[in-house]
Amino acid sequence: MRLTDADGFQEPSSYDSGPEAGPSSFGLDGVVGRPMGITNGHGASTNGYSNGTSGPGCGPHQPSHTRKASSSSIARVNLPGTTLYDDTFVDREEFVRLVIQSLRDVGYIESAATLEAESGYTMETSEVSKFRQYVLDGAWEQAETMLVRLGVSDEEGLWEVRFLISQQKYLELLEEENTTAALHVLRNEIAPLDVDPDQLHSLSSLMMCTDVADLRQRAGWDGVSGSSRRRLLSHLQQYIPSSLMIPPRRLSTLLGHSLQYQRANCLYHNAPLSLTSPNPKSSFTLYADHQCDKDKCFPRVTTTILEGHVDEVWAIEWSHCGRRLASAGSDRCAVIWRIGPETDSSIRTYSAEHVLRDHTFPVGYLAWSLDDSVLLTASEHTIKMWNTKTGMHIRALDAHNDTVTSLAWLPDGSGFISGGLDRKIILWDADGKQRDTWGTTSIRVTDLAITPDFTRVVAVGMHYLASLPSSGGNGRGESVTPPTGGGGAHPHNATNGSTGSENRMIIYDLATKQTEASIRLDGELTSVKISYDSQFALINQAPDEIHLWDLSTGRIARKFTGQRQGRHVIRSCFGGIDGNFIVSGSEDGNVYVWHRDTGTLLEVLTGHGAGSVNSVTWNPMNERMFASCSDDNTIRIWEAPEVQEPILTSEQDLEETAGKGKGKSRERWDGEGGSNPRPAPL
Amino acid sequence: MGMRYRQYLHGARIYGCSQCKTHLATIHSMISRAFNGQHGRAYLFEVVVNVIEGEPADRQMTTGNHTVRDIYCVKCGTTLGWKYDRAYEPSQKYKEGKFILERNLLVDVQ
Repeated sequence: MRLTDADGFQEPSSYDSGPEAGPSSFGLDGVVGRPMGITNGHGASTNGYSNGTSGPGCGPHQPSHTRKASSSSIARVNLPGTTLYDDTFVDREEFVRLVIQSLRDVGYIESAATLEAESGYTMETSEVSKFRQYVLDGAWEQAETMLVRLGVSDEEGLWEVRFLISQQKYLELLEEENTTAALHVLRNEIAPLDVDPDQLHSLSSLMMCTDVADLRQRAGWDGVSGSSRRRLLSHLQQYIPSSLMIPPRRLSTLLGHSLQYQRANCLYHNAPLSLTSPNPKSSFTLYADHQCDKDKCFPRVTTTILEGHVDEVWAIEWSHCGRRLASAGSDRCAVIWRIGPETDSSIRTYSAEHVLRDHTFPVGYLAWSLDDSVLLTASEHTIKMWNTKTGMHIRALDAHNDTVTSLAWLPDGSGFISGGLDRKIILWDADGKQRDTWGTTSIRVTDLAITPDFTRVVAVGMHYLASLPSSGGNGRGESVTPPTGGGGAHPHNATNGSTGSENRMIIYDLATKQTEASIRLDGELTSVKISYDSQFALINQAPDEIHLWDLSTGRIARKFTGQRQGRHVIRSCFGGIDGNFIVSGSEDGNVYVWHRDTGTLLEVLTGHGAGSVNSVTWNPMNERMFASCSDDNTIRIWEAPEVQEPILTSEQDLEETAGKGKGKSRERWDGEGGSNPRPAPL
Repeated sequence: MGMRYRQYLHGARIYGCSQCKTHLATIHSMISRAFNGQHGRAYLFEVVVNVIEGEPADRQMTTGNHTVRDIYCVKCGTTLGWKYDRAYEPSQKYKEGKFILERNLLVDVQ
């Protein structure tokens, strides 16, 4: 509000309107801004500052003339124009009022007053301050009257605010155990508003509450002494023009938007950046635009190559603790690798802790139990359970009669689900007892995943078309019946393949096993992963595409292209601190990384030998490490090239000489001259 | 070579490997039943899936000289028949690129 000239700041009579502005912060947590009713030195005023922090010079007993004396010496600065700078869109009045609000919020009361005096802008009018105080004091009638004066005029808005106020009144009376008065409010104020009968019923049922605690619990309301009036205020404020009553912590909100924007534009973002809580590691500063240094944050160099498999490595999975890595493939072995705790990759030790043999066929899938004590392997139609501590075989599960293609533990660790090309989906207990089954589904499952929120199973596979008796037109032009499912992989089948080949993503409700959605997709589907927030499914779709599906809408949210996938089972995953990277293997032997929200291809990482990179897995405990596995029989560990903690530098130098003796060396990075990374022996 | 799932066929009648039931061919893809293999009657198919092809070799057959490859089940490795790479007799050219499966090594599967 710009004061008119008549409100000249030197005039003590009109001066009151400025400093009377009340608290601009009323955090819902109730920590900030308790209604302390501190007068600001103006004897008659009861609605002074209530920031909860009485800054120096504004205590209740401060002589009133102190403030007046200091403020009246401030000369009003008259500036041309209305914007903050000549060439910006930012309105100066808006900006200054937000600054005043922030100053008051943190307790710089004098500075705020000075700024008001110097700029001639006030944070808000005395009416707004009064309204706030009426609500906080429970002066409902005055509050309602004031709302009209503050511009709440449309029918709907008035109805809403009346209801909100009456509801609060009603609850407060119940809290006082003044049932008669509460009933009066219910009958004479709330009921005439024609509220939804259910809502009215639930309100009236609160009459039956046994005590105050019961009332608060059932109403989801924390009483007069809690934050309920502040909550009400924030609800009511939505009906008042924001130019009159600035939304709480407005400047901070705007800076938060700026942070979000910067983070969204940081393609290599992989550093902690908290919006809501103080984080000592947060790299966000107001002084400069945020940008992650891709050399420091992003794992793009191979620091170790794990050798030991004697044939193609097809599957790879980190344990939940991030210290162990399981790998498996066509050599019919699964290997549990232990990764040393050293943060410096040059001295870190790797060992093949257990080699899980006894598979009759190649191993295509791995799944760690929630506590990492059990590893599941899938080899053709058999699931095997292994003790990861001893490496001993626990038992084999033989309920599938065709290849088991996927294994997923329940989010609570109480069991797991298996899916197979026999169209079965089976739910097992953690000890391997069959608990439930989906029966025979409509697809030969090629992969499945459970959403972390425990609500859905997303399965992909080849749609099963029941064999039709040769009727009518079936024979027409079909001297050759194309293979279904994987048919897309064969160019010479493509002519007829379109009719027979059908692939689907099916979203099941986990609790009821009902199909929520069944979506036909073109091309072979080989991998499905779910985002951390359970909203998206990441699906590899031959040829050459990866799609991000929004599970709630059943639509494609993003496509990622660049990698090669035609004939093979290629898997992808989410990665990075916010799950904002998409990583995938590829038949061209490279690892591909995209920025999830923009779809930008960030990196094509070379290093693996001939053949496909079959799978990738991001370390769940280290956002700067992932692993990939390949037809070249090896596993590569990818990390950011620089050690993060500068403290380590001196140790690092010391270890460097010692490290060489142990056969661990820093030249494990590829792409730097001819130095070959040394394989860790099996 | 990378990881691959076996292919699955659909149709009125599906022939699979008698050892491991892996899908191999459908009746729609059958060209002729009038062939003989090492184990008796054999069928000629336009398309066969889930087989590994061996090295080419020239064989003298009742209908003349042919270049053929043995074919094996991709899962269990059983020899199932052969594939014609080349027929030297012009009248036999129609067999090129086609597959022979021995009837006694097949079972009906779904």
